Formats: sequence, C-alpha cells, structure tokens
Amino acid sequence: MTDTTLETVARPTVQAPEPQRRSPLLWVRRIPGWLVVAVLLIAVGYPLVWLLMGSFKTQAEFLNNPTWALPEDWTNFDNYVEAFTTGNLAVYIKNSILATLPALALTIIIGVAAGFALEVMVWKGRGTVLLLFLAGIMVPGQMILLPLFTIYFQTGLTGTLWPLIITYTAIGLPLTVFMMATFFRGVPREIFEAATLDGASIYRQFRSIGFPMVKNAIFTVALVQFFFIWNDLLIALTFTNRDDLRTIQVGLLNFTGEFGQVQYGPTFAAVCVNVFGTLIIYLFLNQRVMKGMTAGAVKG
Amino acid sequence: MNRVLGDWRAVTVLLGPALLVYTLVMLVPIFWSLGYTVFEGNPIIGFTFVGWDNIAALFTDPKIGDALVFTVKYALVLTVGQVLAGYLLSLLYVFWLRKASGLIRTLVFFPVVLPTVAVALLFQALFAIAPQIGPVNALLNAVGIESIDWFASGGTAFWVIIIMDIWRSMGFYAVLLYAGLVDIPEELFESARIDGASGWRLVRHIVIPLSLPVLFSSIIFSINGTLKVFDSVLALTNGGPGNTTTPLTLYMYQTSFTYGEYGYGSSIALLLTILCLLVTLFIFRSSRRDLTKG
Amino acid sequence: MTTARKRARKIVPLIAGIGATALALTGCTSGGGGGEATAPDSFSYLSFAENTSIQDTLTALSEGECSAENEALALDITTQPQASYDQQLQLLAGQNALPVLFASGNTPQVAKDLQKGGKLVDVEQALEDLDQSDAIIPAAKSTIDALYDGEQYVLPTEFNVEGIWYNKQLFADHGIEVPTTWDELVAAADTLNAAGVIPFSADGQDGWPLTRLVGNYLFRTLGPDALQRVAEGEAKLTDPEYVEAAAAVAELGDKGYFGPSVTSIDYMTAVNQFLTGQAGMFYMGSWILANFNDPEQNQIGAENIGFMPFPEVEGGEGSADQLAANVGVPLALSEASYSDDVASWLGCFAENFGSSSLANQGVITGFKVATPVEDLPPLTQEVQSQIEATTQSVLWFEALFNAKAATTSQTNASQLVTGALSPEEFMETVQADLGN
Repeated sequence: MTDTTLETVARPTVQAPEPQRRSPLLWVRRIPGWLVVAVLLIAVGYPLVWLLMGSFKTQAEFLNNPTWALPEDWTNFDNYVEAFTTGNLAVYIKNSILATLPALALTIIIGVAAGFALEVMVWKGRGTVLLLFLAGIMVPGQMILLPLFTIYFQTGLTGTLWPLIITYTAIGLPLTVFMMATFFRGVPREIFEAATLDGASIYRQFRSIGFPMVKNAIFTVALVQFFFIWNDLLIALTFTNRDDLRTIQVGLLNFTGEFGQVQYGPTFAAVCVNVFGTLIIYLFLNQRVMKGMTAGAVKG
Repeated sequence: MNRVLGDWRAVTVLLGPALLVYTLVMLVPIFWSLGYTVFEGNPIIGFTFVGWDNIAALFTDPKIGDALVFTVKYALVLTVGQVLAGYLLSLLYVFWLRKASGLIRTLVFFPVVLPTVAVALLFQALFAIAPQIGPVNALLNAVGIESIDWFASGGTAFWVIIIMDIWRSMGFYAVLLYAGLVDIPEELFESARIDGASGWRLVRHIVIPLSLPVLFSSIIFSINGTLKVFDSVLALTNGGPGNTTTPLTLYMYQTSFTYGEYGYGSSIALLLTILCLLVTLFIFRSSRRDLTKG
Repeated sequence: MTTARKRARKIVPLIAGIGATALALTGCTSGGGGGEATAPDSFSYLSFAENTSIQDTLTALSEGECSAENEALALDITTQPQASYDQQLQLLAGQNALPVLFASGNTPQVAKDLQKGGKLVDVEQALEDLDQSDAIIPAAKSTIDALYDGEQYVLPTEFNVEGIWYNKQLFADHGIEVPTTWDELVAAADTLNAAGVIPFSADGQDGWPLTRLVGNYLFRTLGPDALQRVAEGEAKLTDPEYVEAAAAVAELGDKGYFGPSVTSIDYMTAVNQFLTGQAGMFYMGSWILANFNDPEQNQIGAENIGFMPFPEVEGGEGSADQLAANVGVPLALSEASYSDDVASWLGCFAENFGSSSLANQGVITGFKVATPVEDLPPLTQEVQSQIEATTQSVLWFEALFNAKAATTSQTNASQLVTGALSPEEFMETVQADLGN
C-alpha cells in the first residue's frame, strides 16, 4: 500500500466484494443497515432544517417556544432583512470572497510547485526542508499572531485585506506542501525520467505532467483549505479592524450585544445564508471533491 | 538526468516563493514569539527580561495541568471517536451501500463545511435545558431520566464537545478512509473468501491490515487538529464552567490577549508546539514511515 | 470613504516590503514607550462593535452640534468585537498607533496600564483648560475616582446604577413587602420559590450577574472599601468575612432561587424570564431600561417594575443608599494625538454628549444634561432621580481585579451557585489569580 500507483489513483469506482448470498429474507437482513442510514440522515439533516426554521423565528419565539417548534410565520423575512441591513452581511460575504480566493489560489500555486520541487526533483537537503514545512502543521496559529500584527502594521498593510490573504496563504502552505509531496510520491518516477530523456524542461514537466496528474488531489487540498480559510475566526478577528473589512465569521459575532445579549433570529438568518450558500457551492463541486478525495487522500 | 531533475535554479523558482512566504510569515514570527518567553509584560506596559521564570511557571501553574489534561484527553477521545466513526462509515459505504453510497457520503460530509459558530449554536440548543428543554433532554425525559444541565459541569460539557466534533468531522474521515478501502485489490477479497473468510474475519484479517496506512494518516491528521482545538471550544463553552473545558490553545489566547501576559502566553504556545511535535514523531515512528527518505 | 482610496495605495508594498521589515524588526521585540505628539488626520474613534449607542451619539454630534469641529477634523469610526478588543488595544498601543478616542477596554486595568505608560490624556486637566470642569457629574466623578485610583482619564459615556428590579404584581400577589435587609430578601425569595415563581432571574452563562451579588454583599457587610482593601493586599478574599459573602450567594443557589439551570441561562433568557413574569426579581444595571421600555419585550409592563437598592445586611458596615454604579464603556483619549482640533472636539463632546445621548439613545451618561430632555419614560426618570440622590457609590466585585482574576471570577461564578465549587474554593481560586 505504500506505493500508490497511477492505476489506483485513476480508479474512481467502488470495487467491493460480491454481495452476500441471495436469500428471500434479504430485505429483513437489510433493515438494521437502513436504520443506520436513516439515523445518519436525521443526524445530518435535522440541524439544517432546524437552522432554516430558526431564521424565520422572532426573538420572542426563540425565548418562549420549544426549540423544535415550527416558526409561526414562514413568510417572516425580517431576520434576513436585518442580517443584510444592520448585519452588513453583503459586505462580509464580499470580504470573505475577496480574502479567500486569492489566498487559496496563492496557496495552491506555490504549494504545488514546492511539493513538486521537494518530491520529484532531486537535490540535497530536500528532506530537511520537507520536515521544516511539516513542523509548520503543528504550530498553533496563536503563536504567530503577535509578531504578524507588528509586521503588518509597520508595512502599512493594516486596514486592508492583505494581512488576511498573506496569513492564510502562509498557514495553508505546510499542509498543502506536505500533501502535494505525498501525492507526487504516488506518481511513478519513470514518467518524469522519460520526459527528461525526451528533452522536456523541468518547468514543462511541472506544467504538463506534474500538475495534470495530481489535478484531483489539488482539488481535494484546495477544498480542505477553502473550508479552513472560509471558517477561520482567529485570524480574521485579529487582523480586521474595520467593519467594512470584516469576514462572515467575524460578522456573525456582530449579532451579540455588549452585555451578552444575542439577536437569535438575525444570527440564524446570517448563518443560513452562509450555510446554504456553502451548500450550493458544495453540491456544485461535490462530484469533483469526492473523486479527488477518493483518488488520492493522504496515504504514503 | 540529474541536470534537469536536480537543476538548482528550477528548485529555487519552484520552491522559492513557498519557502519565502512560509519563512517570513510563519518561521520568523515563531522565533520572534519564542523570544517573548523570556520576557514579561505586553506592548502597553512594556517588556522586562525575566529569564526562565515563565518556563518555570509552567510547572507550578495548576491551570496548565488542567489544560494539559483536557487537551490530551480531548485529543485522544476525539481521535478515537472520529476515526472510529469515520472508519465504520467507510466500511458501511464500501461493503453495504456500495455504488449507492454517493449521496450518503455527500450528506454525511456536509457538516464539515458548516461554520463553527453555527454548529455550536446548534448544539447548545440541542442540549439546552433553558430557556427551553432541548431535544436531547426531552428524549431523556421520555425514557424517564431527569433533564441534565449539560453545560453546568466540565464532565458533561466535555462529552457535548466530543459529540459535536464527531458529528462535524466523521464525514470527512469517512471519505478519507473510504479512499483507502476502495484501493484494496479485489483479488484479495476473492482469495480470502475462497479460503472461507467472511464477515468479521474478513474485516479483521484483510481490511484492517490493508487500510492501516491510511488509518495512520487519519490519526495524524486528527491528532494534529485536535491538539490545537480552539474554535469549537471557544464557541460552545468558552472553556467553562470555570476552566474545566479550557484547552492549552484557549488558555494561551486568554493569557496573552486577555491578561496581557505575552511572555507566559508564548511559553504556553511553546509547550503546545512541543506536545504536537512529540505526538507526531511518536506516531510517525510507530507507523514506520520514513518521511525523509527520498 | 476616503479610507478606501488610502487603502488602495497601501496595497503596493507587498511581500517584499514585509520581508525587509520583518527581518529588521526581529531583533526589536519590545513595544511600549511614548511617542511624539502628531496631529491626527481624523477624529478616529475605536469602539466595541457591540456598543452602538456611543457610535450613534457621536455620529449625531458630528452632524449637529459638533459639525464645525467635524469639519476641521472628521469623525472616523472603527469597531472591534469585545472578544478581541483588549488584544487590539495592546497591539495598537505597542505600535504607538492608538486612535484619538477609544473605548478603554474590557476591564479598568487596561486603561490603568495605558495611563502608566503615559499614553492617555488627563481628562480633568483637559476639561479645565476648556472651561468645562463641571461637564462630568459628581456621582460619575466619584465612580471614576474609585475605579482609577483617584485619577480622571476616562470619559463616562454611560452612568449606570445597579440594583434589584422586582415585579410589583408578583410581590403584591404573594404579599411581599419590598425587602430592606438581606434576611428579608431571602424570605421574599423563599415565598416566591414556594409559590413556583423563580425568585431571581440571573444570567449564569456570563457569570458576572452572580458575582455582582457577592460584591454587593461584601459592600454591605464590610463597607464601601471592602474590595479596595483586597486590591491593596490588606485583606484577602479567603478571609472568613469575605468567604461569608460567597457562601451567602451560594446558599441562594443551593435553595434553587436562581431557577433550575442557571448555568445555561444567557443574558437574553434572563431578561426574558423577568419580563414575562416568570421571575420575581432581577439584579441588573440601569442600562437594562432600554429593554424595559420596549413593550414588545416587556410583557409585564413598565409600570409593574420597581427598583430597590441591594438591601443592607444586618450588623454590616455598609448601607443601602450606597448604590452600586459603573460608567459603562469609559472612553479614553490618546495623548500622542491630542492636538488643538481634538481639544475642541472634546469641548463640544463634553458640552453636548449628555443631552444628545439621553434624548436620542435613552442612555443616561456621566455628563451633565445641558439641554433638558422632555418625555422621558417614567422608569428612566425614576432611575435618574435615584442617581441624583446618590452621594456615595460602590463598584462591583471585579472592578479592581486584574483581567485574569476577573475572568476567573466570572467563569467560576455559576459553579459557585450550583455547588460545584465551595465558597472557600471559589474565593481561593480568584485570590490565587489576584496575585497579591
């Protein structure tokens, strides 16, 4: 298993053992299994429904009606209006996108290149550099906040989205580099050696062989990074000092008042916009994600 | 051959940007932070040199002990929980649902993408006792057990955090492990079955040994994430009641930023980093994987 | 937004710039130290994101009474969530980049530290220079004195008194007189409890409403300087007379007077319990008037709510007319950017903030009300007269604690009332973090 071959990378479908011996009571034996699936679906689905219901409830309903009660008025969009007006949700979404996408692109491009250099290319000291990156996976984010704030301030980047983009890129790198190196390890060396004999330059090999071969894997890593960045609270909280720079996650805190009072309805509405927005992206990309994760995953 | 695959200029071009960003934004600040460990104070009141005092304080501060125990306990329990749940799910996908598993995989994966703040709100309400009895307590009442105030003690709050995080991450681990299971060559099952193996024996003697590498990857993944737990605890219990659910990360954050003790905060971060390194090295050793090998 | 354009210019020095500076800065980790005064290019105000009333009042001033000052130096509001606010202040102070005007942090300790570093404007002197010495009302002045070791370097944008609000109807239904002593209070709670009414609605999740009770009890038994003595190290929270206060509050919890699940009750739930008539009493500051005056939230009616000071403890040295008070989110001014334009802003602020805030936000401030405000809700008027009648105020339990002890106190409060921590353990834990 330590040697993942190209064939297995490319094999998308499930190859499971033959079904159990047929018997007329098959469906009875399957009941427990279906029960498990049903429980799973409820466990995952109910919370979403609950969130959606919450977004239509008034503050009084939250406080005085049971948690699972249906909203009294399904056409009560006040919470959404509140979320977008007082809550500034549109600005936050824009900021989240503006911070996430460049950071993601940067992480992937330079991370994949680094993974390629560390795994495919042969040079002294690459093991050490790889370990150096690996060490970065273990460092807690809190450790670098303080110096970074000083750096961003001194360079005049405070008050822009750049601190977020740069920090996300850097924090995402260790895992990206490490995972990409692992993926490249699964690509047979003979391919690159043959290409070299054919006279392909290293950049060409990277662009036309390396990159396409780990495309699914890149997709997986990008997805993992996307959700890390999108859901980050710590860094966004530290480096955004203006309301018009805030990302969604920090914005969600805005519905809490000075003494700890929570505006439940608008919070839920904002969360719903966030969740169902993500859900749409996710369903849209899902096929590729599952393929990517299935194809590569982290194995050595 | 090595002129192309070992071209230093190409290495610089390909590796350079990543290494530069990584060095400037991660490594430099890390060492900078380490510098704080021998100081006391914060940017407002200034810094004074205290030598090893902060490091020494780590050994006498009872809250460090509490936080360390919580962090390790959380990491172990959650790693076992989420990898096991993920593994069982992946077995379900591969051996039971098979080709129909696509939709289920997608759905179970979905909680991974939800914002922590939202998930925490959800679990607070699920386990609530006030203002309204939440579904979990309602269920307990239905079977004749009195409602439990889950967040009133660290013991019960711990399990709510664990359940929440398993719920959040099992889909992710399921897909990760599923990938490993799918790669097991079909012929192995065939021959095992001809030898008379089935059910549990098949799982134990074929499936588990063959999926060990990907299991190890998952465990490393999980340990690393769980030792650094921050968001979910912050959003769900904020470390309370008292400091009974405070992990090292949160204690470090509070120490530095709420209490203004940057030096001590950095010392806690150092402790956490060492812990992560040790655990990871330990797992690497036991999985007999040699990373440095070209 | 002029800042948007400024930002575009700042994007240019990207990674290369960071690199150079990062290396240059690595050797120099120490912050602190004063900076030379430079005239700011805007009247920048950094606020708690959660507090909107000060922002709104400032905006109203900049468009109205202070428009001339705003012309000279435009108001520019930025916000930071409370959770990361102190951190932001520390970082800004470390860079000598404090805004002109800012909320002075989650605990009074932050402002004290800033003052120690010489970073704050002496407000008393500044107001005197502006001929505005009377701008801050005496009650607020004395609260600030008590909070900040006798110095005046913050602006009281709120002035709140705290006490126990009670449901008049429920009291009448169960034949309860307004308690004037602790024992009567406990008896009243007992009567309500026996009748199936939650005696005290309390936000146990945040903890501070519970430790407020401990603090008040201490002020009543040991006198107004009870916690000053602890701060100065003359007494310890672990002394028996201090533990007694924690024990008294723990006993309320033990008897179930806070309802069945105080740990899980958050602020809004606590407010709601009181305003829907589920609870008979509610310890809270006068900022809660906004909720009381909102008929949608207030199901029991504003006329049904009474206010009583925290009762006396028999044989104690304190008295009930020493109301607990605070100045909300006090604002501070940065010394480094205190230019003439800022001074004239301060003058206009001191002159008009009180009336503008009361008229537009319904918030009672620590500033004199220059223009009388008509049509105030009766409850607000009642509180205002309470404030006027107050000669001596006391603080709250954590007021003089460092941030660490304050956090410990508040996060452990619910464990005190649920019995998970004994009164001795609770006080020991807090004392340990006080570090004296």
